Amino acid sequence: MIEKSNKRAVIVGLFVLVGLSFLVAGILMVGNLHDTFQPKIKIVSLFPDVSGLKKGSNIWFSGVKVGVVSGLKFYGSSQVAVDLNIENKVQQYIRQDAKVKLSTDGLIGNKILIIYGGTGAYPEVVAGDTLEVEKTFTNEDMINMLQANNENLLEITTNFKTMSTKLAAGEGTIGKLLNDNELYDNLSATTHALHKTVDATASSLNKASAQAQQLLASLNTFSAGLNKKGTLAHDLVSDTLVFNSVKSTARQLQQIADTARVMVATLQTASRNPKSALGVLLYDESTGANMKATLKNLESSSLKLDEDLEAVQHNFLLRRYFKKKAKAQE
Amino acid sequence: MKDNQEPSAVFSNSLDAYFIGVFRGFHFFLRFFKSVFTRPFHTREIIHQGYEIGLKSLSLISLTGFVIGIVFTKQSRPSLEDFGAVSWLPSLMGIAIIKALGPLVTAIICAGKVGSSIGAELGSMQVTEQIDAMEVSAVNPYKYLVVTRVIATTLSVPILSMYCSFVGLTGAYFNVHASENTGLRVFIQNAFSGISFLDIYTSIAKTVVYGFTIGMVGAFKGYHATQGTRGVGKAANEAVVLAMFLIFLEEILIVQVSNWFRNF
Amino acid sequence: MNKSQQAPIIDSEATVIRIEGLRKSFGTLDVLKGVDLTVLKGENVAVLGKSGSGKSVLIKIMVALLQPDAGTVIILDQNVHDLRGKALDALRLRVGFSFQSSALYDSMSIYQNLAFPLSINKPKMTRKEVDFTVEETLDAVGLKSKMLQMPADLSGGQRKRIGIARTLILKPEIMLYDEPTAGLDPVTCAEINALINQVQEQYKTSSVIITHDLTCAKSTCNRVAMLIEGTFLKIGTFDAVFQTEDAQIHDFYEYNFIQ
Ligand SMILES: Nc1ncnc2c1ncn2[C@@H]1O[C@H](COP(=O)(O)OP(=O)(O)OP(=O)(O)O)[C@@H](O)[C@H]1O
Ligand SMILES: [Mg+2]
Repeated sequence: MIEKSNKRAVIVGLFVLVGLSFLVAGILMVGNLHDTFQPKIKIVSLFPDVSGLKKGSNIWFSGVKVGVVSGLKFYGSSQVAVDLNIENKVQQYIRQDAKVKLSTDGLIGNKILIIYGGTGAYPEVVAGDTLEVEKTFTNEDMINMLQANNENLLEITTNFKTMSTKLAAGEGTIGKLLNDNELYDNLSATTHALHKTVDATASSLNKASAQAQQLLASLNTFSAGLNKKGTLAHDLVSDTLVFNSVKSTARQLQQIADTARVMVATLQTASRNPKSALGVLLYDESTGANMKATLKNLESSSLKLDEDLEAVQHNFLLRRYFKKKAKAQE
Repeated sequence: MKDNQEPSAVFSNSLDAYFIGVFRGFHFFLRFFKSVFTRPFHTREIIHQGYEIGLKSLSLISLTGFVIGIVFTKQSRPSLEDFGAVSWLPSLMGIAIIKALGPLVTAIICAGKVGSSIGAELGSMQVTEQIDAMEVSAVNPYKYLVVTRVIATTLSVPILSMYCSFVGLTGAYFNVHASENTGLRVFIQNAFSGISFLDIYTSIAKTVVYGFTIGMVGAFKGYHATQGTRGVGKAANEAVVLAMFLIFLEEILIVQVSNWFRNF
Repeated sequence: MNKSQQAPIIDSEATVIRIEGLRKSFGTLDVLKGVDLTVLKGENVAVLGKSGSGKSVLIKIMVALLQPDAGTVIILDQNVHDLRGKALDALRLRVGFSFQSSALYDSMSIYQNLAFPLSINKPKMTRKEVDFTVEETLDAVGLKSKMLQMPADLSGGQRKRIGIARTLILKPEIMLYDEPTAGLDPVTCAEINALINQVQEQYKTSSVIITHDLTCAKSTCNRVAMLIEGTFLKIGTFDAVFQTEDAQIHDFYEYNFIQ
């Protein structure tokens, strides 16, 4: 009898153990219930390089996780076909002209795919669609572009130098314009006036800031007074000094605004008159356009250079280098 | 019975003994749920045991929690410095301590201190027939000894774990404050920035499970102790080993299950 | 000294314990091979036998600490091994069991050892009533002065008596003593024997006393039963059992008194 019940215990023990093992294995294997039971559609993108994207990497759309990478395979000679598993419920928001790019989750996070763009002009994506890939910049790309920008900049400044030499020699429309004495006088007078206006603006701005300071100070006193005691209404009525100073500050602010308005109006009328030098410059379209384009080029390329330099400085891989350089300069 | 002298084993004797152990453990586990909701509840004994457990582990948990807070912060700083992300340190510590270290450290300390002492205490009661004595005087020893202790550990370990996390974060704060001069408010804000309510619930659920495991395993090993005083030592020892094994297994499973919820 | 003849309180009509065909084996070791025994109301029966003959196993089966392989144990008209849960507890309250090893709760004081079964089984008792009962029972075993000590501070004989007191406090109708005098000096033995007799008279109990001490059996029991090789070879009054030519019983008798 005792052996019989022992046998039963052994069998039950075995089954309990097996059952528990299955439970544990089951919990560990069912990776994500939510994802497993979400209906999905599969779309494809072709990348020249996936930079370590993996099966299971997240896909974001407008910053929301909408799916995972379900597979990677080589395609053609050097491309990688990436399968994107997208939840059905976001299908309606992703259009066929949407693009896909590689990114990282945070500064040093995992590789992710980002779907972005897309317009209502195109229908929503359906299973099997291919989304276009946008090339993203690697650090190497960034440095290459910087080089190209440097060259461009050099060329532009050279051009500008020759042009300005010619201008000085009185060649070309602008050169003539600049070398015509009468016109020059006109222009200088206008410039003078402009200077004056600018000065006036500057001084009024200075004044304004001083007044703003004052305003702030009196507001401070005012609020200090408010904090001190009694009700707000009581203080407002009784403390006429503070109240008056607030009122006068407000009036001064009004004045500043008026001055600014007058100044803008003056500038506008001046520029509308084609006879003034500024007017000529603005109204002679071919000259203006040329000059504007050159200036714009210069500006945008220097801006670009600035951006590149900034980006490079912020790239953590190169940070050490810049830090060292800064130290060396000290 | 005479002609069947050799007891026929289903597999081999030792394997059989192992499966019988599993069966007993399973039975012991089910018995808890059968007993826990019926009278008498022995509330005073539960409180007494909870108090004992807390008292037993408090000093060690304070020390370990604090040291771990400091050491972990110190060790994590260099790798964050490389990315210029030292300001993430409080948040990293908050996540590490509240989600993983606090519960796990508490569980391991309690498995060592409380689990072994329950195993040894019940073990010695078993081998000196005190458990039998309770049974014959119509006191249900399972309810009086096992249920009360399991409830006590199930309730105390979560509380101790919260305390451990608190002490650990205090340690982390001291270190962060000393190195980065971070204020307490900023530290607290950052430390909890990476923590959601799901994390806290998961942490508590974890420690409840750990506490239950520690009490259950200790009581089971003690209750089934044999072989006199040697059995007592064995029961205490096995209680710690098995409890720790189960705690690590449960840690993995609970993290897995909580990740299912994370996406809802 | 010999108690077999005088039996003023035995009710020969009422059987409180009836054991029939009891068998028990551990693995390949057959310990009990068919044991039969009846105990009358008010009667003290001694179970004698060598060490390892299965006396403790028998008595543990009687309170369902062990399950028999075959046979029945009927105590107070209830089949012990058919009872579960509350019914079994109710029966156990009527049967006191004094362990061979005393089995005192060593994390509790003497007072708590006695008060514990009371407070669990009679939760309606007030603190005062519990105190009173504990003192009364300790007085009965003559150890009232040790009330606040821990079991570890007591001698073996004192522990035995506390063990008996712990079972007496529940006012059982049947007492089962497992070797109450084992390992004690003759004077303490005599004290314990007196206590057993006192319990029989004071609490009107029937008892089964497991022992291999013939003096104890002779002075406390109305009948004795010799357990040899898994069965009762002989049951009867002390003199009837030992006036025999059976070699094993004879050896047992000789050895005991030479010692
Ligand atoms: N739980 C058990 N498992 C296995 N064998 C056991 C168990 N309990 C008792 N035995 C065996 O049963 C036999 C009888 O043991 P028991 O304790 O009844 O002896 P005893 O007559 O009380 O001896 P003693 O006078 O020394 O107390 C012994 O050989 C013992 O080895
Ligand atoms: Mg014995």
